[in-house]
Amino acid sequence: MEGVKIIDSRGAACPGPITDLARAYRNSKVGDVFELWATDKGVRADTQAWATKTGNEITEVKEDPEKIVIRIKINKR
Amino acid sequence: MGSKLSIIVFSGTTDKILSAGVLSQAAAAMGSEVNIFVTFWGLLSFTKGEKKMMLPKEFEHMGQAMMEGMAREHVKPWYEMIKEAKEFGAKVYACSMACGVMGIKREDLDPIVDDMVGAAYFLQQAEGGQTLFI
Repeated sequence: MEGVKIIDSRGAACPGPITDLARAYRNSKVGDVFELWATDKGVRADTQAWATKTGNEITEVKEDPEKIVIRIKINKR
Repeated sequence: MGSKLSIIVFSGTTDKILSAGVLSQAAAAMGSEVNIFVTFWGLLSFTKGEKKMMLPKEFEHMGQAMMEGMAREHVKPWYEMIKEAKEFGAKVYACSMACGVMGIKREDLDPIVDDMVGAAYFLQQAEGGQTLFI
């Protein structure tokens, strides 16, 4: 988990999680890894769209009863 | 990158302005340039002072339930959404002609409004992107 930055957007409705991710992205550098935690059901598709648009990569998606966890690797600034 | 969303906010009811807020915030978060052009009934919510909830007549009876649902789902007010979009560079313009018709002066506009402009300026800003009329 070393070096992974958690973005906790649990409870936030769309477009909150993607906004939190975009905010973190502004201060990121290539190679950073984010873990977006969310409960909004649209977050999988939204994060995929965001990653495609911004040229970044989703490396893992996990779901447990409390949250959806999406790991994003920053490849482009 | 390099994409753009422009929204003409014509309607004055909160449900439609909320849609404009969601799309503005989402587009801004996606890295798109966002332009919001507020005209006619939309202007009633972009003047200084309290933002009153207004629903179309046919849905008025659902107002209370919608407010409860929004609180439960932590949906932010549209004003906060547009503020978030502005944090990423979104611009809000008020239609100068409609302001004139409605007797709204530059100083009456909410601080969220960047400028009072004409249709030609907005069209030029919107050129080459997606434009929505709400």
